[in-house]
Amino acid sequence: MIASRREKWVGNVLLVLLMAVTIVPFLTLFVTALHPAGTYPSGLEWPEEPHWENFASAFQAANMGKLLLSSALIVVGVVPVALLIATLAGFALGHLRPPGHRWIFLVFLLGLTLPFQGVIVPLYYQMREFGLLNTRWAIILPLIGLYMPFAVMWMRAHFVNMPTDLSEAARMDGANTWSLFTKIHLPLSMPALSSLAILLFLWTWNQFLLAVVLVDDSTKRTMAGALGAFQGQYGTDIPLLCAGSILILTPTLIVFLVFQRQFVSALLQGAIKG
Amino acid sequence: MTATTGTPGRRETVEYSTTSQEARRRALKARRLRRGWAALALVVPAALFYGVFVLRPLALTFQYSFYDWNGVTEATWVGWDNYTRLLGESEMLGSIVNALELIIYFSFVPVVLGLFAAATIRKFATSRLAIISRTVLFLPQVIPLVAAGIMWTWLMASDGLVNQILRAIGLGSLAQAWLGNFDTALPAVGAIGAWVALGLCMLLLLAGMTKIDPALYEAARIDGAGAIREFFAITLPSLRQEIGVCVTVTVIAALASFDIIYISTQGGPGNSTLVPGLEIYYLAFFSREIGQASALAVAFMLLVLAIVLPIQRLTKDSDS
Amino acid sequence: MTIAACGAPGATTGDDTKPTAGNASASGEAPTCGSDDVVLSAYIETGFPLPKALTEEFTAQHPNVTFDIREDQFAVITQNAPRILADNPPDLMRLPQMSDLAKDGLLLDLDPYAESLGWDEWPASQLLQMRVDDEGRRGDGPLYAMGLNYSMTGIFYNKEIAAELGMTEAPQTLAELDALLQKAKDAGYNPIGQFNGGATGGLAFPLQALMASYGDASKINAWTFQQPGATIATPENIKAAEHLDKWIKAGFFADDANAIDYATMMSRFIDGKSLLMFNGDWESGNLDAQMPGKAGFFLLPPLEAGGKVGAMSAPLTYGIAAKAKNADCAAYFLDWIATNDEGRTIAVEIGGSHPMGQTGAFMPEVDAESVTAQTLAAGTTIGEDDGAMEFIANATGEIYAKSWTPNLQKLVAGQQTPEGLLTAVQADYENQIGG
Repeated sequence: MIASRREKWVGNVLLVLLMAVTIVPFLTLFVTALHPAGTYPSGLEWPEEPHWENFASAFQAANMGKLLLSSALIVVGVVPVALLIATLAGFALGHLRPPGHRWIFLVFLLGLTLPFQGVIVPLYYQMREFGLLNTRWAIILPLIGLYMPFAVMWMRAHFVNMPTDLSEAARMDGANTWSLFTKIHLPLSMPALSSLAILLFLWTWNQFLLAVVLVDDSTKRTMAGALGAFQGQYGTDIPLLCAGSILILTPTLIVFLVFQRQFVSALLQGAIKG
Repeated sequence: MTATTGTPGRRETVEYSTTSQEARRRALKARRLRRGWAALALVVPAALFYGVFVLRPLALTFQYSFYDWNGVTEATWVGWDNYTRLLGESEMLGSIVNALELIIYFSFVPVVLGLFAAATIRKFATSRLAIISRTVLFLPQVIPLVAAGIMWTWLMASDGLVNQILRAIGLGSLAQAWLGNFDTALPAVGAIGAWVALGLCMLLLLAGMTKIDPALYEAARIDGAGAIREFFAITLPSLRQEIGVCVTVTVIAALASFDIIYISTQGGPGNSTLVPGLEIYYLAFFSREIGQASALAVAFMLLVLAIVLPIQRLTKDSDS
Repeated sequence: MTIAACGAPGATTGDDTKPTAGNASASGEAPTCGSDDVVLSAYIETGFPLPKALTEEFTAQHPNVTFDIREDQFAVITQNAPRILADNPPDLMRLPQMSDLAKDGLLLDLDPYAESLGWDEWPASQLLQMRVDDEGRRGDGPLYAMGLNYSMTGIFYNKEIAAELGMTEAPQTLAELDALLQKAKDAGYNPIGQFNGGATGGLAFPLQALMASYGDASKINAWTFQQPGATIATPENIKAAEHLDKWIKAGFFADDANAIDYATMMSRFIDGKSLLMFNGDWESGNLDAQMPGKAGFFLLPPLEAGGKVGAMSAPLTYGIAAKAKNADCAAYFLDWIATNDEGRTIAVEIGGSHPMGQTGAFMPEVDAESVTAQTLAAGTTIGEDDGAMEFIANATGEIYAKSWTPNLQKLVAGQQTPEGLLTAVQADYENQIGG
């Protein structure tokens, strides 16, 4: 396809503009973080003297070490389990298709557009009954359940497209359902699984509502929940708040930049399948 | 909603063996039954989590919505009272109206802008700048919405960058506390949502556009079509699915918005940015009117379904 | 799946017996912190150094006691209070309006401690606002909280700007104040840098002060304490609201008042951008430190010279959760603040307000030039005029966030009338008390 010079010029300007709009808020956050703690800097304005120590004090105030650990624990609790059970269910519903599989799948789809706010109130009392309020389990367990509609749909869509002949051939060779799954289908699902893993990681890491409602202690929350608590506590000290926000953002940004290709394709696919 | 596409009859036609018809059929049936149970067993763990942490709470939301309960003492049955109050109180109804208005900003704006931007850069989607932009434009998707809320609260403050720019270009009279003004707070919150969604929408649409057969455009060119007719005659119709995806994702984000508003305005000033998600939270955990919160939650979920399902039906083909 | 749906929710949580104080008081002994290691969990308001200063001094005197402190902004505490008290009960907690919390049995009844520690010998008026009866009315019934000190609100002004405007003494009448505000406006200053943004409408401060000038403090208290038949929409109060509206229309508040939060108000005042702000003496210590000698304080003047004045005056309330693990030690700590010389000194010097406790108890020396001295003196005036009022925003648990704040924000935006403001609040009030 040939683009005229003018088209190219206009397009490039537009792209740069879009990128600027995306980046500038991050820049403002960063520049503001360098102002003396407790002041009200106005707009985008380089401080007379950058206060790098704000990051150190925010690191301490936000309890970053504990926050990272907590978010990591929650991700480790959610993602592998959700992946495993969604794969099993997706394999069964998409490939083995037992009697009633359409109905079962339909019930799962029911939850696909469900906003978490719809169930947050009973979840709170349910977690209280279980005695799990204010523990990481209060975030981990419901999240696994809430991810099921999407994750099962995702994995089912993958297995639906696997040719049946493949399984029949394996069955001829005497493979039972389990070895059919582990030996043949699992290795073939790695791309679908890793995209799903990325999405679940991101959603868990950034989960806010569940963290805010079910866990008071910010050191037992997800990163987003902890950021909310940090804002609740230091919202009155703008430079410190900005420094803390940047610190809390950094791990995600690093992971994103390292795996950007996978992230972008996972997010694009995720949107399409959702 | 995706229609199930399985063709369950297919496997039966595969096996031909030499044993008698009757025995073969019986063995097959037994095997299928056994496999059926095994397959169902594989669904059990997922179904269990889904049942305990989604379906049960869902049922409880319905149940709570018929009670007057403060979460501590015993609840009393009030029938449809919570629902009639829902219709009578401007605060709760207003929150639903606000959520609907947010669709304009969260959904309409990024989809239209995204279409425009994607159409403009479609032809050199593989240039280096475009590739870098893929990463950059995705940043808002990766960070927590809470962070977006914090950044933009600061940007849109009285002395924030937005007003600084307005003053610099001689529009100082427009400068105001965007999030603190009755008329501008909701659009301002909406702008945050648009910022988050724009990159995703643009890249999704761009990906869709690159899949369109270039021959179509060439044919149009030969017919003497200009860029605008090209866009409406070829690009737009080919993107039905991608547009549907963008609209669905962003509409859900608008209706279910919570994080951004919780951080930036807490629903104020007045109740001008109150949305159902936030109101449910306030009612349940601050006012402790759990029945009322649940009734709103039920109405809210039905609303989401009522809006999202038609969009899906309109834009998705019968097959996923 | 829906087995639980058979019974009414809440029917099985059977621990609703009204709690009373912990071990020590059951036996009538005064509580102590013992000698074993104790960690008191505390949930406090962020941005104010007083609680932390007190806990540090207390730990210095009682090394076995340490504090596990969680901080939030007041609006967040308000939202979280019922949940936290019920399911994650702290030993000490900064309380928002507490009638529902007490009524629902979430707070510990402190009367046994009051008896064993001798709080019942203090002036009864100090504790009145923290008593709640069975129906959630305040002013009577068991004691559910204790103050760290006893704060009071009024007007802080910037002495330099005031001098520039030719103000030699505090305005004696409301009309004089109006004139001063106009002068400030004409001179290009923001006359009143009041916060009114987010979840807390700060215009309730000037509104209530105006109410006390136009009317009678005791009538306002009757409403705040939910006395039967009380209304906020009285003719006097409507005049007060109209006066406030006049200030708004005259541009005495900042253009972006609805976007100013508390911290912004403070920073603008300290930076010399506004002539005055309505605020409480809890900032006296802070202002003495940040703008020494530059801040002054006066009470909103009466309609006519020499008339009675009123002011919001309330204990900085801290409660003990009904299910707190270390209730005895927490009660001992609260008592220590009011009775220990060091504790009282911190309450004044860092807290800026009058300590709780008996009249005639130890008072630290205060520099007569400081704003702290002025606020303490104003406190005496209020006492003489019997003008102490509880904050109108504390009438019910939700009235501030759900009614005063949105309606005051609408008033600023010109979307609510003064009378409409009060009738709307009254309607919500009746709704909340009735429901």
